[in-house]
Amino acid sequence: MTAPKNDSLPPERELKVGIGALVETRTFDVPDGDAPPWDATTKFAVVGADVDRQDGIAKASGRAKYAYDITFPGLLQAVILRSKIARGKVATIDLEPARGMPGVAAVIGLKDAGKKVRFVGDEIAAVCAPTIDQCRDALERIVVTYEQEPHTVDFLQSSDAPVVDDSGELVDPWSEDGDLDKALAAATVAHTGTYRTEVQTHGSMETHGAVAKWSGDDLDLWMSTQATFGVRGEIAQAMRAADVKCTGVTIHAEFVGGGFGSKFTAGAEGRAVALLARAANAPVKLMLDRYEDHTCAGNRPAALMQFRAGLDQDGVITAWDQRTFGGCGHNGQGGGVAIPDHFLRKAARRKDRMHKDLATDADPGRPMRAPGHPQGFFGAELFLDELAAAAGLDPLVLRQKNDPQAIRQQQYTLGAERFGYAKARADAAANNAQKGVRILRGVGVASARWGNLGNDGRGRDGSGGHSALCRIHQDGSVEARSGAQDIGTGLKTVLAILTAEELGIRAEQVRATAGHTSDPSGPAAGGSTTTPSLAPAIRHAAFLCRQQLASKVADHLGVAATEVVFADGKIGTAAKSLTFADACKLIGPNPLEARGERFPNYKGDPFERGVCGLQFAEVEVDSWTGLVRVVRMLAIQDCGIVLAKKPAESQVLGAMIQGIGFALHEQRIMDRQSGRMLNGDFLRYKVPGAVDIPPMDVIMQSVANGHTNCSAAGLGEAPSCAAAASIANAVFHAASVPLRHLPITPDKVLKALSQRKAK
Amino acid sequence: MKEFTYVLPRSLPEAEAAAKKPGATLKAAGIDLVDRMKERQFQPTEVVNLLLLQPDLGGITADADGSMRIGALATLAQIAASKDFAAEGYAALREAAGEAATPQVRNRATAAGNVLQQARCWYLRSSELHCLHGKDGPSCLAQVGDNRYHSVLGYHDCVRVHPSNLAPALLALDCEYTTQLAGKQQRRRVADLFPLEPKAQLEEHTLLPGEIVIAFHVKAQPKSARSAYRESREKLSFDWATTAAAARVVMDGGVIQEASLVLAAVAPVPLPRPDAAKLLIGQKPSDELFHRVALRAFADARPLSHNAYKVQVGQAIVREVLHATTR
Repeated sequence: MTAPKNDSLPPERELKVGIGALVETRTFDVPDGDAPPWDATTKFAVVGADVDRQDGIAKASGRAKYAYDITFPGLLQAVILRSKIARGKVATIDLEPARGMPGVAAVIGLKDAGKKVRFVGDEIAAVCAPTIDQCRDALERIVVTYEQEPHTVDFLQSSDAPVVDDSGELVDPWSEDGDLDKALAAATVAHTGTYRTEVQTHGSMETHGAVAKWSGDDLDLWMSTQATFGVRGEIAQAMRAADVKCTGVTIHAEFVGGGFGSKFTAGAEGRAVALLARAANAPVKLMLDRYEDHTCAGNRPAALMQFRAGLDQDGVITAWDQRTFGGCGHNGQGGGVAIPDHFLRKAARRKDRMHKDLATDADPGRPMRAPGHPQGFFGAELFLDELAAAAGLDPLVLRQKNDPQAIRQQQYTLGAERFGYAKARADAAANNAQKGVRILRGVGVASARWGNLGNDGRGRDGSGGHSALCRIHQDGSVEARSGAQDIGTGLKTVLAILTAEELGIRAEQVRATAGHTSDPSGPAAGGSTTTPSLAPAIRHAAFLCRQQLASKVADHLGVAATEVVFADGKIGTAAKSLTFADACKLIGPNPLEARGERFPNYKGDPFERGVCGLQFAEVEVDSWTGLVRVVRMLAIQDCGIVLAKKPAESQVLGAMIQGIGFALHEQRIMDRQSGRMLNGDFLRYKVPGAVDIPPMDVIMQSVANGHTNCSAAGLGEAPSCAAAASIANAVFHAASVPLRHLPITPDKVLKALSQRKAK
Repeated sequence: MKEFTYVLPRSLPEAEAAAKKPGATLKAAGIDLVDRMKERQFQPTEVVNLLLLQPDLGGITADADGSMRIGALATLAQIAASKDFAAEGYAALREAAGEAATPQVRNRATAAGNVLQQARCWYLRSSELHCLHGKDGPSCLAQVGDNRYHSVLGYHDCVRVHPSNLAPALLALDCEYTTQLAGKQQRRRVADLFPLEPKAQLEEHTLLPGEIVIAFHVKAQPKSARSAYRESREKLSFDWATTAAAARVVMDGGVIQEASLVLAAVAPVPLPRPDAAKLLIGQKPSDELFHRVALRAFADARPLSHNAYKVQVGQAIVREVLHATTR
């Protein structure tokens, strides 16, 4: 990159923001001291290039140590005793028999007599011993009696569930709403439909849990977490509450095997392992098994959604109404749904929100990749396709007519061309019109949206805030460090890339480390905020180190510091320069070191503080067996300035794969009688495997958004909105009847096809 | 898992002696067994590992009478890739073995282990639930619970389905098996390996305690024979069949002379359908004919509360497997 002149920046800066033909000049208030912001005209050497994931080889070769892999001499294992009933109270509990069992080093109660039991799997007690089998033998000796109460694990069987008919439609009349009712009555085309999704579990590769080790009164925890600083506080507070002296808690999460929103809390397992390690006076490991992870560590709640809407003669959506229900766990929370309301700018809508969360006697929901969005986008986007069909409009055209977002408007054109949308739709229609055709084909499209571009992490008084550390050593090695976690999404690669870009070196020259709370603090990995929250601070840290090094080099070469350029591994001017390694020799025994500041987001709201996306899917439906196969997919995703291209594409691919699972396979299946999950493994809880994943194409769009010095945006959520919806729309196109209840399993497909024949 | 004694026999007689002990179980690759032990669903006191006998009990070899011998410990991958089974008449075996589980599993899992693995019923396989099938419960929990993957045919008081891919193919080819018990070898038809009335209280196979399957025998197939195995699933990678069918057909002059049809994953045992197969004899292949055969194969279906779809899917798989044998 070219050297910015950073001596006296005017506070107001003109930046080119946008992408391609949409680039425009806007003025931003850039905070004093910030690195000069990048924009659409910036030329990059490392940012956006095909840089490999920093820890890719370590992970692929097994050298990366996850919490699950951490071990110490004398390490004990721990297991939690869990409730076998879904609802009631602990009547009596006797832990004593467990204490005398071979190997048992500590036993702790997690639920006393008289306490409520809220689901199968609720924590009762925990033990630690040298082997897991010794723990389980000991747990078998603990005597628990329950006062059992009737339970329900199906949200549509709960006492305040709405009435649905045999076809799954909500049947209660809609309450009146004057303007909305008028708009619906005036519509040229009107439509209504009810949509449903099942509980999806997170299914992270690494289950929840931690290894705890005390040194005196200091506690170190190697935890599979997506919120290092959050769980640090949680554990410290839990120790206080338990009257355990604890002078410090350090969390280590250098490698985390996924979280998807389920690992913001240390959980009962995190608290238990810390207490067991103290009681046993030994390091203890407590990792959940796969069944526990499916049943006790969160999930995406089920949803039931009814929509009705009207179009005018131009295909503009003029009225929209919805009522939604969440199928939640025992806390009756977290089941809200979000729909693509960018299509509804001209629609009359109800004033009050009609949503109700319904509780069941099951594990509570936790955030999962764009909470509420995959459910709501599936329902609403499929409803839009039905609406388009009713109006005789192509579904892509209906979206183009109703979408005010400029970036997505050009995505429609680009995507339709790249996917061969029109031809694929026509070919599918021609195929499906053949008499007796077995394999039906369909093509669908759906939109994506996420509206969070990160935060500065500061308190109300402006104190605190996210930070990052950069160090340049005399030997030429460069460190970039963050105490926030990289849950597999690529923070370490972002650290390396931003630092390398700023210092004019290769990303491989930077040693990036994340996940130790001894390093500068950062946000939890949620809401697509990690990268946009931390990237500006990471860049700023490198920027400050660069200034220090520039001044040393300037002195040495006898040039002005403002003339010093960092590029291609050299530092200096066109006439005189040093290699990066030689320049570093000017550093003393103490490294150059700087903590980057996370300045507040710049004022101004270009692109409505969010990102846009669009996904296409083509499917084959076997009309004999009901099997749906995704044949190919395309995602176009805006992501601020794309910093780390490979991990970014990987995030989108992951969202598409997870979307295939949500659309076609994944569902928590509960036994009503016992309240237990029947498919709490990866044999019957079905996730897509290699053969189920079709060729998938990703187009990343780099959009200078003018929100921070590096225009970063996050990617966890947006691509998750569209994937299942685009597949459901393709299935609708293939089957010519909508499949309104996810997952779209063969039994549902065959039923729908037979109903189509009956019609 | 609970503590157990690990026995590594060096010979078949040693294995037999070890297998006779109360509480002993035989282990081949352990794909199913070790999982069940880890989850404490099954707690043998002695585990007799047969894998050291793989040189004798493994591999695929030709016998003097022209039949092929599949060692009990031959792997699914070996069967799927065997040149001895390259001819169309053996295709059902190759396809059944080649579609099971994943490449990693197929490289370890054995022929006998695949045929003798325990039913995959999620009530049966929960250590917390007590059903009628070997678990001292009062009733079949699947019958009144979620039975989407359970039987539609041939069940009594337990609606589990037989999970083996290989078993229907072995039955369709009218294969035999040899066991060793008390120093004596006995050769029987594979059909005899499964109970006639698959009641909950019975074992899933007819082997006596200590009896060891040592081989399967596949008759030499005439050039005009063709066979196939097809299954339906909910996804394409690593899934259990929701229905499956194996068929064998011998054609002459475009007319079907011999036919056999075996269903799997729809009943507690792999289920030959001779009445349906008979409809094929003397006929020319056609989709209309196969459709009739498929309807006949499921004519006595009694679907449960959640699995009516399996009848329709199963019929489709029968059509498909018959097309595959006559294409």
